[in-house]
Amino acid sequence: MSTLLDAVHVKKTYRLGKVSVPVLRDASMEVRTGEWVAIVGSSGSGKSTLLHLLGGLDRADDDSGPIRFGGEDLRRFSARRENHYRNRDVGFVFQFYHLLPELSVLENAMLPALVGLSRLRWLSSRTALKDRASELLATCGLGHRLSHRPAELSGGERQRVAIARALINGPKVLLADEPTGNLDVKTGGGILDLLADRHAAGLTLVMVTHDAQVAARAQRRVRIEDGRVE
Amino acid sequence: MYAPLLANRYLTSRIIPFIAVAAVALCVALVIIVVSVMTGFLDMVRNSGKTLIGDVVITRDITGIPYYADLIAEIEATPEAEAASALVETYGLLQMPYGTGDGGSRIETVQVWGIDSASLDRVADFHDKLYWKKPTDALAKQLKPDDPRLDPEYQREEEGKSLMTRDGEPGLVLGIEISPFNRRTQDGSYRTENPGGRQDPGYFMPNAGSARLTLVPVSGSGNIIGEKKAAFRIVNEFQSGVYQIDAQRVLAPLDVVQRLLMLDESELKSRTELDENGRPKTIGRSPARATTIVVKAKPGFTPEQLRDSVNAAYKRFVTRSLEDPARIVKPPSLVTVATWEERLADLIGPVEKERELMRTLFSIVYLVCAALVLAIFWAIVQEKTRDIGILRAIGASRTGILWIFLRYGLLIGVAGSLLGVGLAWGIVARINDIHDMLGTPAPTWVKIAAWIAVIASIAMTVRGVLRASALQTVLWTFASIGLVLVGVVLFLHRGFLIWDPSVYYFSRIPSEIDAITAATTVIGGIIFSVIGASIPAARAADTDPVQSLRYE
Ligand SMILES: Nc1ncnc2c1ncn2[C@@H]1O[C@H](COP(=O)(O)OP(=O)(O)OP(=O)(O)O)[C@@H](O)[C@H]1O
Ligand SMILES: [Mg+2]
Repeated sequence: MSTLLDAVHVKKTYRLGKVSVPVLRDASMEVRTGEWVAIVGSSGSGKSTLLHLLGGLDRADDDSGPIRFGGEDLRRFSARRENHYRNRDVGFVFQFYHLLPELSVLENAMLPALVGLSRLRWLSSRTALKDRASELLATCGLGHRLSHRPAELSGGERQRVAIARALINGPKVLLADEPTGNLDVKTGGGILDLLADRHAAGLTLVMVTHDAQVAARAQRRVRIEDGRVE
Repeated sequence: MYAPLLANRYLTSRIIPFIAVAAVALCVALVIIVVSVMTGFLDMVRNSGKTLIGDVVITRDITGIPYYADLIAEIEATPEAEAASALVETYGLLQMPYGTGDGGSRIETVQVWGIDSASLDRVADFHDKLYWKKPTDALAKQLKPDDPRLDPEYQREEEGKSLMTRDGEPGLVLGIEISPFNRRTQDGSYRTENPGGRQDPGYFMPNAGSARLTLVPVSGSGNIIGEKKAAFRIVNEFQSGVYQIDAQRVLAPLDVVQRLLMLDESELKSRTELDENGRPKTIGRSPARATTIVVKAKPGFTPEQLRDSVNAAYKRFVTRSLEDPARIVKPPSLVTVATWEERLADLIGPVEKERELMRTLFSIVYLVCAALVLAIFWAIVQEKTRDIGILRAIGASRTGILWIFLRYGLLIGVAGSLLGVGLAWGIVARINDIHDMLGTPAPTWVKIAAWIAVIASIAMTVRGVLRASALQTVLWTFASIGLVLVGVVLFLHRGFLIWDPSVYYFSRIPSEIDAITAATTVIGGIIFSVIGASIPAARAADTDPVQSLRYE
């Protein structure tokens, strides 16, 4: 199996005025194609920070080692390539769902596909896209709530919409930040089953969790402690 | 493709865009209404100054311009001039037909204009300015039954136009503010009141007999020749719209004034030669003179163009007169030719200053409105920072984000500005009706309706309390307080006139939208909406998605 994502001696320091908070001191990890990796660690250890860096949503320190996707250094990305990376190459599921409140479930799920479309292509591929999104939502167990607003959904349902949104463009890797963190065990189990299905279908998965039981579902676990990944 | 979708959703699924549209509309309407009414008013003041002097005025001192009929013909032959009329301007004493209260009769110092009624009417619509006319049917209904104008034999209009009584006596037309018995009323018309404040046709000036005018002729060398007096009948009064004119000016027939000032046609005597009787020899006839020529421009020509052409015409007239051996008296080569604005600079100056002041004040109001629009958009977009973070995280470009909010600002700006223009137009077009409504006490049914609304609103407040709904209670409490205030005001309101025609000269408020102001305000409204929306959006688009997402 080839390496899809790897981070080498990554450093991330948050600066608040004169105080600097080193969160990641020396984090190195590797994700292979088709793998399911869990990042574990206590609260505040920098799990989310690392995942954001992997997803190209934040920048590492200037003296940090590289983060590479398929061998390409994320720091060398142009603005265009960066947008493309966020839009196509990875799918990101946030700890707090982050759906757009004004859009319906279907529109939220379709949004990343819309981002990459011109008006002309939208007109020609509209129905196909809608079908794809509703199908995806149906496999996520939301086939009956397409026109609802996020505010009308439960936490578990919102997380499913967020997962559908992350998957709509067929990313090469799904980055999920505590996908079950705010859910009860049963609902969380359902989400994990959904992810497991996707993994079985060939999707590479990186998942952040502080829950050992959840982490147990992954093939491999990496632990962050004191800013270092062992 | 997501930009239109999101812009439309942001517009339709929240109440704040409607508040923004309303704010933009109100700002735009405010600016348009006030600027339109103020410029309209200042234009009215300014143009009323033009009354009775046409577009261009030629003036010469009391020695006058001879052969002026020839000059008028020369001017009227130019393509820029529509008509010209000759005047004699001087000062005099007017002995009024009423007393001072202690036996003497009251004397006013007046500016006397000897005019030719027909040609002055062509130049400056003189006949329209006469105040006492046969009433229209509508006016007749409003007049008191003893108003002299209701007399079927009413002759003042004709007498005023001809400056002569029916019996051929010379007549005077006074400025309407000269007589202290003409009292301007709240609707802008005049009532004739006796000193006790009662409507009294006996004090109606044109009825009140004859007045004596004393003028002082001056010889060519500048010596006073001795005063001349003449009795006139007061045949009418005129209203120009400018207080300074209406309170001082008296119009009399041109030939009579010329005679009194010795500017009429006469024998010309030699200063050196004597005739057979040993008297100065008659060597010809000295022509009649005018001190002033007023000229009206043809439509399409500016006063400045006319002034230049009148200047040229005057030069031709002088040259011709000098070459003509039959003309013994030569016209002066120095006269003043001025446009009405130059001539009335002292009257118009303050108005222009006021206009400048208003512009300054309004640029401040404009800035306040712009800041308001900016602030509203800033708040709206700030609230969307998290959404922008999400969009950036799923790969939306900076320009894509910017486009959403540009669209958003543009839609709100256009909708708000157009609504504002509509609102302003509705108010300005009806501003006189609105003003009249404010000027009269509210009809009973309005008061009753207001108090019914008060009771209903209090009932709704009680309902809100009973249902334990804080929002309903608060809303209806405020509504009740507001309605009670309205009800009280309606009861106390006895009607007030902001635009008091007994103070201002105009009985109607200008009710036309100033097109340039409207256009610039609309464009300004749209621009500030777009700026207000795009700056915070650009800022949010520039921050890393993770930072925007931390924004709570
Ligand atoms: N923008 C920021 N500015 C300053 N400090 C930050 C910022 N983002 C994160 N941190 C700090 O970095 C540390 C790691 O945060 P992070 O969110 O990665 O932790 P986490 O492991 O995901 O924790 P949790 O399990 O609670 O989600 C925390 O101490 C946090 O306070
Ligand atoms: Mg976290």
